[in-house]
Amino acid sequence: MPRLLTLFLVLMFGCRADADPNSVLLWHAYSGAEQEALRDSVARIEQEHGITVRLVSVPYEAFADKLTAAIPNGNGPDLFVFAHDRIGHWTANHLIEPLEYYVDDRIAARYAFEAISAMSYEGSLYGLPLAVKSVALFYRTDILTEPPTQTDQFFAMDALYKGDWDGYPLVYENTNLYPHAPWLHGFGGSLFDKDGTRTSLATPEAVAALSFARKLDRDRVVPGGVDARMVATLFNEGKAAMAISGPWFQNDINPEVPWAVATLPIVSETGLAAKPFLGVEGILMSSRARNKDRAFAVLEALTSDAEAVFRAGKAKQIVPNQAAYSDKTISENAALMAFRKQLDSTVPMSASPLMRSVWTPYQNALLKVIDQGADVADALRSAESEMKSYSEGQP
Amino acid sequence: MRRDWWHAYVLAALVSVIVATGTFVGYRNAAFEHRELARAKHAASSVAEGLLPMDNVVAAYLVSPAVQSREYEFLRERSVTEADGSQRRLGGTGARAFDKRIYDAANTFDKSGAFVELVIDSDYVIAAQPAKGGVAVAITTPPKGPERFPWLVVLGLLVMGSLVCAAGTLVGGGARPLGLALGASGLAVPTFIWSGLAMALVVIGCSMLIAWADLRGSLRRAGREFRKGGIAYAFLTPTAAAMLVLVGIPFVVGLGLGFYNNNHGEWTFVGLDNFIQILSGDGRSLSDPLNFWFTLGVTVAWTAVNVVLHVSIGVGLALVLRQRWLKGRHGFRMLLILPWAIPNYITALIWKGMFQFEYGAINSVLSTVGLDKVNWFSEWSTSFASNVATNTWLGFPFMMVVALGALENIPGDMYEAAEVDGASPWQRFHHITIPHLMPAMLPALALGAIWTFNMFNVIYLVSDGRPGGGTDILVTEAYRWAFERGERYGLAAAYATIIFLILILWTVIGSRLAKKDEE
Repeated sequence: MPRLLTLFLVLMFGCRADADPNSVLLWHAYSGAEQEALRDSVARIEQEHGITVRLVSVPYEAFADKLTAAIPNGNGPDLFVFAHDRIGHWTANHLIEPLEYYVDDRIAARYAFEAISAMSYEGSLYGLPLAVKSVALFYRTDILTEPPTQTDQFFAMDALYKGDWDGYPLVYENTNLYPHAPWLHGFGGSLFDKDGTRTSLATPEAVAALSFARKLDRDRVVPGGVDARMVATLFNEGKAAMAISGPWFQNDINPEVPWAVATLPIVSETGLAAKPFLGVEGILMSSRARNKDRAFAVLEALTSDAEAVFRAGKAKQIVPNQAAYSDKTISENAALMAFRKQLDSTVPMSASPLMRSVWTPYQNALLKVIDQGADVADALRSAESEMKSYSEGQP
Repeated sequence: MRRDWWHAYVLAALVSVIVATGTFVGYRNAAFEHRELARAKHAASSVAEGLLPMDNVVAAYLVSPAVQSREYEFLRERSVTEADGSQRRLGGTGARAFDKRIYDAANTFDKSGAFVELVIDSDYVIAAQPAKGGVAVAITTPPKGPERFPWLVVLGLLVMGSLVCAAGTLVGGGARPLGLALGASGLAVPTFIWSGLAMALVVIGCSMLIAWADLRGSLRRAGREFRKGGIAYAFLTPTAAAMLVLVGIPFVVGLGLGFYNNNHGEWTFVGLDNFIQILSGDGRSLSDPLNFWFTLGVTVAWTAVNVVLHVSIGVGLALVLRQRWLKGRHGFRMLLILPWAIPNYITALIWKGMFQFEYGAINSVLSTVGLDKVNWFSEWSTSFASNVATNTWLGFPFMMVVALGALENIPGDMYEAAEVDGASPWQRFHHITIPHLMPAMLPALALGAIWTFNMFNVIYLVSDGRPGGGTDILVTEAYRWAFERGERYGLAAAYATIIFLILILWTVIGSRLAKKDEE
């Protein structure tokens, strides 16, 4: 009967009687080359440290919900791989373990300052970075002689074309805040006010950035109404000469398309670099990890310089380890180096829970202005009040 | 003397043992926790006063204040004073077994002051007390576990109780229930010692209740009923349990959530506030897509337009497919059912692609015939129409299948008789086909309306609420409150409750109508 009951519980709730109490359970949402690279790294670490690591792949869409449900019940992973922007939310729910006890300056110095800082929240460190992700400028080398370095050049592209060509100069998801953010930051704007505690969306800088995005659309520099999938299609079919996207885009480009990556141009109006959001993917530790010392040993080994070089080579990840870029295999990869260069002008995405409510209202504002021709300042103001109404009743 | 006297006693004894055991566990845990917390706190205070730690202490240190790293504001080191007066850094290569717990305790102390805590899953107690030059942290382990369950006392009381009960039955009459109540109340004595009067009264009350039931004979009747239908109950149990776990509990939790507000993981009871906020429109104008009544209007319009289209297209096609002159009827029927056979989110994504502005199939066709491209999702009417087109494509096959089934069942001789009597085709349709279709179509219509009312996939994937949330229906609105707008789970649950109530109302009205029609 107890066995039957266990089976029933396992079937119903996926509870597991602990398979091997000495193993470290690691959840990730990687697929393809990134998953293979992680698997290889883990195999190496298991051999070197004599620790068994169980890798469990969890679909990205369900990842956060599964964590919030599993960790408090003691069914969660010991370690997991995720982007830094939910750290604020998870600390509020006491799901993740601070790591200052384990991490000293020597370990912290392995990573680019922006990357390790992004893993911290309210004076504590919650993970070590595995990979950084930001968008940059992809361009087709068969169409362009060189990428534009000033945003003014978007409107006079003829000088940069190799021959006669009449496609769109640029394609990006122009109604999505994520690829819009470089303009916002390039015009000197920010989503948050000075001390970073409250959003402030309707600033003059934000108005200028959104007007610029509208101009790109009106002057037919970018096509309207495209989603992420179409960005790849238009770029691959040669209907757009450049695309703004992240490292993952490399896998979407057809093998016969000649391409290169450059940093985003400087916004001509302000002279500032167009800084995209920086997302940092790291390994975090559950607050209910069964053996924290052992879990940290795995965490530390997986984010070491040697493993970073391996991941950059095998999975084309943009690794945050400084030493990795002096490695020859990486310094010869132009795309990786371009993304590394872009890393220096990025704005880490806020880890505050507010960040998660900003996407929909901002997207509504972008849609209203670009698709429906609404007034820019009005649209941003209504996004601001939409934000406010979302958090009403929430001090 | 009736032979079944012990049945009632076993039942009563069982209930009192359960209550008493529960009481004991609560008492035992509280006593244990009290004892161990005091021990750890005392150890920490001793360290703070510079005394040597005593028994059962695993680790006890004076921890110096955190030293922040110069480069990284989020890194801090801590060190402890060893017994010989030397300083040692917590963690690092020379870390001792409890260093991390001590470090964490000092951190917690810095944030929220002195504390003492029982770490349930590892049998330690940690205490942190303020001390000169830092914080005193002590970790102790309980010398022995909590008190054991007093089996002998309980067993003795049960045996004594059974004797009292048997004696009462022997005397017979009013003594029987009295003996039963008294005998089963024996456990009230230890219960009283463990947790006072309240729980003891519960034990006595339960015994008296069972004695009363025994006196009235209800226990015997229930036993007979259970013996008779035992097998049936046994078969029902797994399903009932699954329904309870998979449907019942989530439903009740969902209803309950509607009365709470979630603020980044902290739940506060807010009574009817969520419902008031929704139903009052939250101070927004009626044309604001975030106003509940606007969304409700959109949802009702969406349901009505869809159901009318599904039924008329479905029935129309069924009538055509029934015609004998039509060649390859089975092939057509197969083709027409296909939209239903494809998972609806795939269909929705295909339609979304077709409505794409620049390269979508529909705009491509429009521009080849020389018409202007339409930005489908920038205006409410076209956006709504796109959703309706997608959902009609998904919805008509079901109605067609139902109508075809009903049409097959109309006897052919009725039409022949009508034709002989000189009825026109329209008269035959009106007086034979429609009345025979109705009984099958009405339930399908009610079901179709509920599906459409909650058709999340099409709205979310095709128009995604554009423009500005205007084409959102109630379910997608609830979803957005939960997952896209600051995790207002409470508000979303209240939305779900309201949707549930609306659909209950609709089902009741629908079944009344169907019944009336049958009459």
